[in-house]
Amino acid sequence: MRTSTKAKLSVLAVLAASLFASTAQAAVTVLGWPGGSEETALRAAAKAYNDLSTVSADDKVNLIFFNRDGFYDKLQADMAAGSNAFDVNLLATYAIGRYAPYMEPVDLGPDAAKVFGESVLKTMQFGGKQYGVPTDLSLHFMYYRKDLIDALLKDDAAKAKYAEISQKYLGKALQPKDPDSWTWDDWAATALYFTKSINSASPVRYGTVLQLKNLLFNIMVFQSLPRSYGGDWMDAKGNVTIDSDAYKTGLKLYKTLYDAGATPKDSLSYEYPETNAAFGSGQAATALQWNAAAGDLTDKAKSPAVADKVGIVAPPAGPVARADHIHGLGLGLNKNAKNKAGGVKVLQWLATQDASLLYAKSGGSPALAPDVVAKIATDRPDLVQLGKFASAYGYVMTGGTSANALSVYELQAKEFTGYWSGQESLEQALANTKSGMEKLLK
Amino acid sequence: MDIARRTEWKILASPLVVFLLLFLGFPAIVNLIYSLSQVSFESLRSPTLTGPQNYLDVLTDSSFWSACWFSLRFGLITAVAECLLGLFLAIFLAPLIEKHSFLMAPLMLPLMVAPAMIGLMYRLVLHEFVGPVPYYLYTFFGDSPSFLNADNAFWTLCVVEALQWTPFAFLLFYMAYQAIPLEVRQAAQIDGASPAQILRRIDLPLMLPTIVVAFFIRFIDGFRVFDNVYTLTGSGPGGSTTSLSIYIYEAFFKQGAIGKAVAASVVLFIASFAVLFGLNWLANRRRKAAA
Amino acid sequence: MKILRWIVLVVAVLVLNFPVLVTLITSFKSGAELSINPGFWIDQPTLENYAKILQVDDRLNIFGYLANSLIASLIGTTLAILLAFPAAYAIARGGFGRKALMPAIVNLRAVPLIIFAIPIYMMFQWVGLLDTQLGLGLILTIVNLPLALIVLVNAIDDIPLELDEAAKIDGASTFQIMLRVVRPVIRPALVTTFIFGFITAWNEFLFGLMLTTSKAVPMTVGASFFFAASGGGVQWGPASAVMIVGALPPMLLGLVMYRQISGSMTAGAVKG
Repeated sequence: MRTSTKAKLSVLAVLAASLFASTAQAAVTVLGWPGGSEETALRAAAKAYNDLSTVSADDKVNLIFFNRDGFYDKLQADMAAGSNAFDVNLLATYAIGRYAPYMEPVDLGPDAAKVFGESVLKTMQFGGKQYGVPTDLSLHFMYYRKDLIDALLKDDAAKAKYAEISQKYLGKALQPKDPDSWTWDDWAATALYFTKSINSASPVRYGTVLQLKNLLFNIMVFQSLPRSYGGDWMDAKGNVTIDSDAYKTGLKLYKTLYDAGATPKDSLSYEYPETNAAFGSGQAATALQWNAAAGDLTDKAKSPAVADKVGIVAPPAGPVARADHIHGLGLGLNKNAKNKAGGVKVLQWLATQDASLLYAKSGGSPALAPDVVAKIATDRPDLVQLGKFASAYGYVMTGGTSANALSVYELQAKEFTGYWSGQESLEQALANTKSGMEKLLK
Repeated sequence: MDIARRTEWKILASPLVVFLLLFLGFPAIVNLIYSLSQVSFESLRSPTLTGPQNYLDVLTDSSFWSACWFSLRFGLITAVAECLLGLFLAIFLAPLIEKHSFLMAPLMLPLMVAPAMIGLMYRLVLHEFVGPVPYYLYTFFGDSPSFLNADNAFWTLCVVEALQWTPFAFLLFYMAYQAIPLEVRQAAQIDGASPAQILRRIDLPLMLPTIVVAFFIRFIDGFRVFDNVYTLTGSGPGGSTTSLSIYIYEAFFKQGAIGKAVAASVVLFIASFAVLFGLNWLANRRRKAAA
Repeated sequence: MKILRWIVLVVAVLVLNFPVLVTLITSFKSGAELSINPGFWIDQPTLENYAKILQVDDRLNIFGYLANSLIASLIGTTLAILLAFPAAYAIARGGFGRKALMPAIVNLRAVPLIIFAIPIYMMFQWVGLLDTQLGLGLILTIVNLPLALIVLVNAIDDIPLELDEAAKIDGASTFQIMLRVVRPVIRPALVTTFIFGFITAWNEFLFGLMLTTSKAVPMTVGASFFFAASGGGVQWGPASAVMIVGALPPMLLGLVMYRQISGSMTAGAVKG
């Protein structure tokens, strides 16, 4: 009897000790976006922060990462169940409405607006409140093969063929142009011209790579096309306008390219990595792809077939505008955080000029105000391009930050891929999307 | 005596029952409430009861029924393919494996790999630019089909599933085949039975219970397929490769329609319970009729 | 005929293991070679992918993942057998719960367990089992129970009742019969259950994803940490290497334990 009480007591002591040990190590736990340049940059930033003499032992940053597959599903389950496993967590523009209920607005301090600019701060706002500090900006680049386009522009016989093909597939005879002045039709004509099954003289198998897997991110890549024709999710009055001519034109153009074989046959299962692999193999002339791919595609060790031939411009223009989807990744404060005060300190520090420059130097892609980005233009010339495209062409769809924005993307992914794969008509797909969006966005 | 024994049975089964009540009882109750409520991730702790609305939503959702159809076809086709292939391999290769039992190992290897990883591996294998299959098809035939478009994805997935799980059927069948006493076969041989006759009259009937079990296990696993489909095609273009599990997962996480997702799984649970109950009843009747 | 059997065997092994073989080959290719050479040969074999994934730092710790998977899978498999074996005996011999309990548990296989994720998550949070090897092991037990029960009930059904009766006449209690008479006879089934249970547990993905954060991350989940080694896409080289490493323990288990199965099979054949 005595021994068992003793045993119990010692177990309790051990438990208490471990509990004490864990509280003694109290820190700020930050959940970051795993695997990419964002992680590398965040690690460097966290290290610098922990080395500051002004940061007390209780407020040191401790990083954790989920796995990338199902990141948002897990984050959702965690936050909904009231997890306090992290104090600061990742946030994205398109998911901000979904996570805001579990988060607390933060005051980033007076410098934030100077460092990032108001428009970038907005990517982390919901309901008029600032929920996080913007860390990285994502948008799309039009990647193309400089060698192929240059050759095309010099060759008169090729130009005739180009006109003939565009007449046949697009209904108008077009002339090759410099990629930076492409309209979507120019891009499509180029894609068709460089497709071997259409033009046997093409040095590559496909004119472009479309990522058409039933996946929300692929809709983000697609929607700059209808946007440049004036498309939007909703009008100013809140009516869903997804069945506009702009969307019809855009969806049809993709279908034309897919049906004509200008994109790999399995494009309907393609997403980011497949697209990179296809373009990187040297068998595709163009690809509309995330800016994050620029590093790999221009790296000789990773993409030997194309690295020194890659050209990068903003997405093509439409009759209304030239548009580039943007969204921000950022970090914000968990409502159930154990160490809220420490979390706020970290976020405010990340919003300072020194921290954001360090973050950029370490590989991150922050969108910075022009006078700030100038300070690292020699280290990171691509950030200048990123900032330029974002301010000149960046847009967010009306309703694109609402609570159900992710579900809207999911719905569009399902219906649009249904149309592209020939399982339903354009009208049917748009009608389904419209009625679904009306429910989600009301 | 009888009562004492019955108590003993109860005691033996009780750890399992207690464990299940502990770990699934509470979640099951929570889920039942959710299925009758309007609930989202924000209102997990305060769902509003709305009655059977979620069930109506599910039963009138055409994608629910097409997911059922996908799962049913997928489960049946893969289970049949796996059993046939497994049976062939088990019987045809038995003489070899009896002598060299280590040959079993490479045949069993696919079972050891996570289905989620198999799905990812096929993303590599079938990729037109980094995968060997399209590469060699292009090299030798100048063309390669689209494995994962809306028309072919179903069959590609069936092949992927069948190739991974044929070894399961094979293993069970081989063990059952080995368990048939040699004397039975020898006696039949002495009576002048041909190998085909022995197979049809002796081996197959004796293996039948195992075949039924293997088919059943493979059918339900195929019916609820998730991992490899999820990693290979997701829900597919236009939702064309949405299995029931994927339907529920997407309703749950992607649409945040928790009530609907849970209601769908309750429907699924009841339906499969009914099927199982019916099978049991049939088996009992046959047993009685035989006796 | 013998040659034909060998041919069939070789073809079957190659076709069934095709994705694993391709992955194995891929894991020895450098990133640069991968983008230009999709074939079966390797121009310049390299270990760089393995070197990359075996590096341990505070986040990517492949040995930690392996240990987590091992412990959680062992808990999940052993506990499932400990629970299922007595119950299977009661079901097979006493008919206890054959009508309701058995179908209910078997039915668990037909239901996507993910629907239990949220309630279990809340429950685990409440009792502090989140992100622990034990918590993951308990869930893996649930995952393993249906198959364990089916296999064991079937195995016990196959044993002639006379064996029990004889032992009973010798004065053995039900519990003794179960442990001393039935258990040795169904040893092959127990081994099979263990192997399949372990593999299933090892390969489980969704609960591993949902219920762990950092301390108890299993191999399947940890593996995907490596997929996005830079820039966001799947890096096929390191991804292949990590898939091979992750699949190795269950494959080795199958190899080693298989001998045991076939050994006890031949011993068990005497029973007929």
